[in-house]
Amino acid sequence: MFKKVLIANRGEIALRINRACHELGIATVAIFSDADRASLHVRHADEAFCVGPGPATRSYLNIPNIISAALISGCDAIHPGYGFLAENARFAEIAADHGLTFIGPTPAVINAMGDKATAKRLMQEAGVPTTPGSGIVASVDEARTVAEQIGFPVLLKATAGGGGKGMREVHAPAELPTAYATAQAEAEASFKDGRLYVEKLMVNPRHIEVQVLADEHGGVVHLGERDCSVQKPSHQKLIEEAPAAELDPGLRARLHHIATTATRAVRYTNAGTLEFLVSGSDVYFMEMNTRIQVEHPVTELIYGVDLVKEQIRIAAGESLGFTQDDLHPHGHAIEVRVNAEDPENNFAPAAGTLTTVVFPGGPGIRVDTHVYGGSIVPPFYDSMLAKIVAVGRTRESAILRMERALGETRIEGVKTTVDFCRELLGDERFRAGGVGVGWLPSLLARRAQPV
Amino acid sequence: MTEDVIAVRARALAGALAEAGFARLRVRDGETEIEVRRASHSAPVRPSCAVPAEPAPRPTVERMADVISSDVVGIVRLARPAIVEGQELDEDRELAFVETLGIRNPVRSRGTGHVIAVFVTEGQPVEYGQALFAIER
Repeated sequence: MFKKVLIANRGEIALRINRACHELGIATVAIFSDADRASLHVRHADEAFCVGPGPATRSYLNIPNIISAALISGCDAIHPGYGFLAENARFAEIAADHGLTFIGPTPAVINAMGDKATAKRLMQEAGVPTTPGSGIVASVDEARTVAEQIGFPVLLKATAGGGGKGMREVHAPAELPTAYATAQAEAEASFKDGRLYVEKLMVNPRHIEVQVLADEHGGVVHLGERDCSVQKPSHQKLIEEAPAAELDPGLRARLHHIATTATRAVRYTNAGTLEFLVSGSDVYFMEMNTRIQVEHPVTELIYGVDLVKEQIRIAAGESLGFTQDDLHPHGHAIEVRVNAEDPENNFAPAAGTLTTVVFPGGPGIRVDTHVYGGSIVPPFYDSMLAKIVAVGRTRESAILRMERALGETRIEGVKTTVDFCRELLGDERFRAGGVGVGWLPSLLARRAQPV
Repeated sequence: MTEDVIAVRARALAGALAEAGFARLRVRDGETEIEVRRASHSAPVRPSCAVPAEPAPRPTVERMADVISSDVVGIVRLARPAIVEGQELDEDRELAFVETLGIRNPVRSRGTGHVIAVFVTEGQPVEYGQALFAIER
């Protein structure tokens, strides 16, 4: 087992990793930027190094300073958390070159899953269903032929695209010529590459992901699914739960089977998540995240497995201490992200000083956070302040518990998502379970309309 | 930089200020200039109960000093011969370098001046922003 681990992250996940290390008897080294000097993740670590000024490119993404801090302090491993350098294959390689174990999959797998086209091809080869679509189409006529084969509605997408640029929804053949021309022009202007391809457009699918763990000795298990369909219009997740509500048992078993098959096929190691779009009885692979995820606690609470400790054990070369038959979920867990942002103003991020901070407690509540009364929310990073997680015997009891917990929560000084999420929990449609990714955006659009 | 971030940075500098016993310190790092000053009337109110007498405060000097801090995380390698406190620098020169993953990051005096403090020793690990030298201009 490792003796000392450098935690290459900030915020609640740095603290989460610190806790796992200390429970395993491993010493920790924190890194921080000038703006995070007073953060809890710095205080709880055994040692800490300032690695740069506030902007992440110069601190939390500063590979030489981070590796140097690990070497100076005598670390034998680095945990990257999520975000920042977590899915940076070069960082994993550089760490290995300096004799540091990267707690995550191999650089080759990180690279393969990071490139969307490669990931899709590898998954297809492994028999995983991917979104039906075409390669590059050369003309409107070719696009029409493909669209008729896979069926309308379709999505025209720029191959060089990103951020919604060069993307058009096409609901009927008549819309195709205009959509094709505008998407192509937009892609040409934005990326100097006007090439388009056609993909099946799923209307209001659910976002369901499967957690996997794989050791270096061929052991592969899944830890069930999480439903992350409650997403802001920017596609950022806001409320997550496990297991997915109102999911056909056959479909659930299929998702789990696909996930473990794919994990074995790409020779994956460590913790990973396969994200799927689910529409009716159709399942399509979206992407594989090669890191611990923000919403991992909902899985931990129903499976009783510490995913971060498992990551560390796997990276240290240990075998999984359990098989699929040992894993049985109990109850239902739900997570709410407490973000420093204004739900009434397009979730605009807020920075400032937190004057009052009171988090909930009591039975079945877990709070993962790095903030406290008087702490400063810097303008440089992700706006998440805390994750509040509730677990109960049933979905309804977990939701009731979460409503109680959010009622106890007081955060003043910046606007947060606490009251907004409490409102969402009371929504009839949410209560029924199984909403799609379009639910929250359409609810927001309805609210924005003048009465 | 926001005011909050400057405040955080200034607090870190206050340590260097106290250590050096100066009245004020000014730090420039290209983007920002921060000056920290010791309060001029700092006579503490003595509690009435018996406590050990505080040591006499170090005499403070009303001088302006530039603190040269590290831009990187690494190991300090002092120039040879080593720069010492009290030394006059009559030209811009290299005071040390900080070694990061085998790369030497030079630390220069950024002009002439009088070395009033050397905060580090040979082979010492330093973090980003750590004070290395103070130079009176």
